[in-house]
Amino acid sequence: MSKQQKEAQAVMKQHMGLKASQRLSNTIIYILLVIMAVIWLIPFVLIVLQSFRVESTERVNYIIPHSWGLKNYKALFDTSFPRWYLNTFIIALFQCVIQTVIVLCMAYTLSRFRFKMRGKLMRFMMILGLFPGMLTMLILYNVLADFNLTGEHSVPGLILVYVASSGMGYYVSKGFFDTIPKALDEAARVDGATRFQVLYKIILPLAKPIVIYTILTAFMAPWGDFVFAAYIAHAKELGMNVAVGLNSWLDKDHVTKYYTMFCSGGVLVALPVAILFMCLQKYYVEGVTGGAVKG
Amino acid sequence: MKLKRIAALLLALVMVFALVACSGTENETKAPVASGNKDTQAGTQANPGTEDTYELAITLWIPDAAVELTKKQIEDFNKSNTYGIHVTPTIDALSEADAATQVLNDVATAADMFFFAQDQFARLVRGGALAQVPADMVATIAAENNASVVAAGKSGDTQFAYPLTNDNGYFMYYDKSVIPEADVDSLEKLIADCEAANKYFAFEQDTSAWYNASFFFGAGCHSNWILDDEGKIVSVDDDFNSDKGLIAVKGMQKLVTSPMFVSSSQASEFSNGAAIVVTGTWAYEDIKGILGDNLGATDLPSFEVDGQEYHLGSFSGCKLLGVKPQSDGDRQVAIHMLAQYLTSEAAQLERFEALSWGPANTNAANDPAVLANPGLVALNAQNQYAVPQGQIDGAWWDIAKVISSEVKEAKSDDDLKAALQNYYEKISAIFEMSEEDKNAWSVIGSICGSNWDKDFPMTENGGVFTSEPLELKAGEELKVRQGASWDVNYGADGLNGANVVVEADGTYTVVLDVAAETVTLQPAE
Amino acid sequence: MKKIDELEYLKLSKWNKFVYRFLSFFAAIPSKLWGLVKAVGRFFKNIGLGISRECKDLVTTFVKGDWKTKLSYVIMGFGNIARGQILRGVLFLLMEVVFIFYMFFSQLLNADGSNGLQWLSKLPTLGTQGAEIVETTSRFGTVTHTTIYHDNSFKILLYGVLTLFFIAAFIYTWRANIRQNKIAEQILKTGKPLKSGKDDLRSLVDDNFHKTLLALPLTGILVFTVMPIFFMILVAFTNYDFEHDGLSTLFHWNGLAGFKEMLTWNSGPVKYSAAFGEILTWTLVWAFFATFTNYFLGIFVAMMINKKGIRLKKLWRTVLVLTIAIPQFISLLFVSQMFAKNGIVNGVLKDIGLITADIDWWNSPSLARILVIVINIWIGIPYLMLIATGILMNIPADLYESSRIDGASGWKQFSKITLPYMLFITGPYLLTSFTSNMNNFNVIYLLTGGGPTNTALSGTSNVGHTDLLITWLFKLTTGANQKYYLASVVGILVFLVVAIITLVVYNVLPSVKNEEDFQ
Repeated sequence: MSKQQKEAQAVMKQHMGLKASQRLSNTIIYILLVIMAVIWLIPFVLIVLQSFRVESTERVNYIIPHSWGLKNYKALFDTSFPRWYLNTFIIALFQCVIQTVIVLCMAYTLSRFRFKMRGKLMRFMMILGLFPGMLTMLILYNVLADFNLTGEHSVPGLILVYVASSGMGYYVSKGFFDTIPKALDEAARVDGATRFQVLYKIILPLAKPIVIYTILTAFMAPWGDFVFAAYIAHAKELGMNVAVGLNSWLDKDHVTKYYTMFCSGGVLVALPVAILFMCLQKYYVEGVTGGAVKG
Repeated sequence: MKLKRIAALLLALVMVFALVACSGTENETKAPVASGNKDTQAGTQANPGTEDTYELAITLWIPDAAVELTKKQIEDFNKSNTYGIHVTPTIDALSEADAATQVLNDVATAADMFFFAQDQFARLVRGGALAQVPADMVATIAAENNASVVAAGKSGDTQFAYPLTNDNGYFMYYDKSVIPEADVDSLEKLIADCEAANKYFAFEQDTSAWYNASFFFGAGCHSNWILDDEGKIVSVDDDFNSDKGLIAVKGMQKLVTSPMFVSSSQASEFSNGAAIVVTGTWAYEDIKGILGDNLGATDLPSFEVDGQEYHLGSFSGCKLLGVKPQSDGDRQVAIHMLAQYLTSEAAQLERFEALSWGPANTNAANDPAVLANPGLVALNAQNQYAVPQGQIDGAWWDIAKVISSEVKEAKSDDDLKAALQNYYEKISAIFEMSEEDKNAWSVIGSICGSNWDKDFPMTENGGVFTSEPLELKAGEELKVRQGASWDVNYGADGLNGANVVVEADGTYTVVLDVAAETVTLQPAE
Repeated sequence: MKKIDELEYLKLSKWNKFVYRFLSFFAAIPSKLWGLVKAVGRFFKNIGLGISRECKDLVTTFVKGDWKTKLSYVIMGFGNIARGQILRGVLFLLMEVVFIFYMFFSQLLNADGSNGLQWLSKLPTLGTQGAEIVETTSRFGTVTHTTIYHDNSFKILLYGVLTLFFIAAFIYTWRANIRQNKIAEQILKTGKPLKSGKDDLRSLVDDNFHKTLLALPLTGILVFTVMPIFFMILVAFTNYDFEHDGLSTLFHWNGLAGFKEMLTWNSGPVKYSAAFGEILTWTLVWAFFATFTNYFLGIFVAMMINKKGIRLKKLWRTVLVLTIAIPQFISLLFVSQMFAKNGIVNGVLKDIGLITADIDWWNSPSLARILVIVINIWIGIPYLMLIATGILMNIPADLYESSRIDGASGWKQFSKITLPYMLFITGPYLLTSFTSNMNNFNVIYLLTGGGPTNTALSGTSNVGHTDLLITWLFKLTTGANQKYYLASVVGILVFLVVAIITLVVYNVLPSVKNEEDFQ
């Protein structure tokens, strides 16, 4: 065997060894990923299974229902659940429109304009953000109560409060705007465009991912808000959102009768929100990686 | 674009559902009614056309199960009352257990009328959330209802709440096909039966002090909480940490160490393989559904320690109906009239028939149907061993409930004693005083309408302590003590001396000179 | 400690650099504090100087100004209108009219019958006349006790504060109105025309476009965030609780009593200070584990999925992000029920013979604490995975290439390239995620509700072993015995803790903007 052949063989061996170890590590990774996927899916599979279980309504310790049916879904319509659903939907709709406008205004301004108070304003808002938001729950409740926007009329009240404080969450979008080159603005300004035209005609089309990200997160948030909505609703069923209503079915007095209905209600809430999220996942990822880290 | 289409489709789907939801609610939403908070006293004006009708729009917080029945009863009230009161109710489901919390979050917008469990009574009174029952109605309430339930709605001499039920207690349900009738009086035999049949014995010992107090009351222990005038709990008289308590935990140990013991009070345990469940009347319908004719209900059994039998005790309690204070007299009275109707004999009987709630009304409680209800019969049988549930410090429930876990682990009597000692220390810690309070001096005596049960504070000025001016009468007696205890006290002749006697009527300040060890009365200007 | 110059600093090893920065930060605290005191002093001095300067300017403007300017001192916007700037003038005038109406006549619109001045005058006492119970004879003949409400401490505090804000805004506007007159006079002297209303409007979408854009968001933040926080800070200095609800029983100013109750040891039967210490410790422990388990496991998972040769990348990611997509109140509440004592987890474990007796997951302090951290991983990994994926893709491939040629192993590549790069990019994110974990209400509240109850801390609003400061704040606000003033104190303390952590970390950690440190 010539020296060259030997060298070639050694390289081959190394290569094969590498391949084998690569295969091994890939197998381990696959096993880990499958285990993780199972763990991640189990609760959601279970909740769906429980929602179709009709032999009893309480919590049980077995997985597969003994008998199947749509009873739990039908029964939802005899409760206030449809009303809660509608409330949440209205809030989500308003919020995803108004909040998006507000957040984008804020983020765009702070990213593009240099004005006297800019630095102080940003620092001030950062300090404000360090206060726990729950602190203000009590006073906001009382203000809304003064305008009769609590209890059964809590939907407009909730929209108002969510929307009004949404300007604080501008960081992610600002991070994204920062990545759009400023030269674009300046070129357009030289051509005689006003600031408004620059925003509308040049920046917004480029910022599509972050706009969709903002709409998506604004739409999803009200479906999950529990604390503030519960406090504002003040135990009046007409003013609850899905989170508050469904949560009340799990307290000690109700859980026996409503457990499976909690599951079916949960499925009806999760389904549209999750599908919407999955469809717009691409933008969410862009928003999170683009804005969250850089901002 | 595919994505856009999917998103649009999805949005459309959600909207369709929301629309369906909308139409769904319209069917069941009643005509909107102005809430009766203090700003909008809607509907309190009498209809000018017909002199005799009085429109009343009110809100109610009532447990889910009772909502439909209450709607019907209010309809009946509208037809039957002779004052022309016409009530338009808005009812929201709210568990009796959460009533006080929700009401106190904002009294102004809370419901006008609510059901609550008796243990929340003191808090509601302290928060100014209960209206006094008009004098006209107090007498009727007292005459028609069980005395202990009436007392549970009283603070001092004032009646603040209406008796609703008298059934908050527990007893034993069992499966007749497993447990022989002859064994139901003995805890030991019941445990043996369950172990032989491989069936569970469900008694919620691990997570609820309400249930595990059963053994202590059975052994003759007591735990009384003492309140001051404002409804605050100031001390406790509790002898769980005693020889009697040791007997109780020995009995408890027999149960909780059995392999067939489960800590639960859910009716559903019967479908999960239980032969015995200790719970209350509210579970009757569910258990009836599972066991059918095999349902047995009776008082709790006795346990045996050192050759002596002890019958298990229990808590007995009730539910009350409260009315929120109103600013308008007419409205207030109309609501009270409705409240009285909703707690009348007929209404309580209806509630028994529909929901198996045990009446507090004495006539209703003696109704043949009530007397024949196996659940209530068993509850009544157990009631002679029951302790009325007074106002209890919230912390007690958490402190007492862990006893059973410690009993389960215990290997010897010393371990059991340690568990009780641990309990005792935690209870005492509730009332541990601050250094400031321990050192504070006060005047106490048969003065100013008190009878050695109230401390009048004193303020310090360089080793001399002075009380506020007190109006004292001749012959009244008093002493000065430290830290509201008798460990250190001064009287007429110094430390631990005799009582100071007032010689003449007048306004005095009581002065203590610690260095000179003297207590003097100085006339105040 | 010894100061070293830049050249020596650069010679230090990475670890020593960190230690040096750490120590020098703390060594610098006294001088920084002194600096702060001086800054505060300067601040007040500047305010004083500013006020005197403004006053002087007001006087000179009045003396030197024409009659239009002089009249503007009383009638706001008069000068603007007289000089043809109608739009500005009308706006100023409107502000004055609204202010006067609010201060003196708003009781006409108000069910409570108070105007701004009255609210303000009650602010020092928070009301003197509580509710009274009177005997009334009703139309039905029955005698009853009705409650007549008078002062409402809460509203007095609320509208009193609002009035203060309004007065400040009015003074600012009034001053602006006068300055405008002065400027207008100067411009007219030079013979130039004043800006018309049309010019003003046009500038709002151009030169002053930022004002237009910020107007709405900032108003919202002012009214619904700044004022409520200011207000709640004031509540900490009262005795507002369920017994003193401000309506049935008035509450009043109580100085530092709330802080004393919360912070002094053994201050009575109810050990708030002990509870605070215990909860703060657990909050920090929780935030540490919640942040770093998620961080490292998230990176690990991202690397697994992104590894060359792993297929179905999209599928794995989609499965994981389900926990982001589905509202937490559904997933967490359901998981909490799964781990109930007679729940599905115990049922399955018993069926496959792993355990014989049910495990009481939520009733054992240590088990509950471990479980919330583990379940938080389930919720948190996907988010980190997304972030890490984005960053990993940005790491220049030639860094790996050259290290492979140097013979670096996989672990070495991770610890020398991947991790430093990640830490560098995500440094600020780690900090915010630590502080937001301290305030992670959802995970704790929905899983355990703070339980199991800590019996050693009885009477402190049912404090449990997994309670964070934020859930405790919630319990104090809405729990069995509402103690609003203590909730407010806790809120302020949370702010202080978070602010201190932020300050320390920003000063000690490698300056994130400094690119050199990474290379």
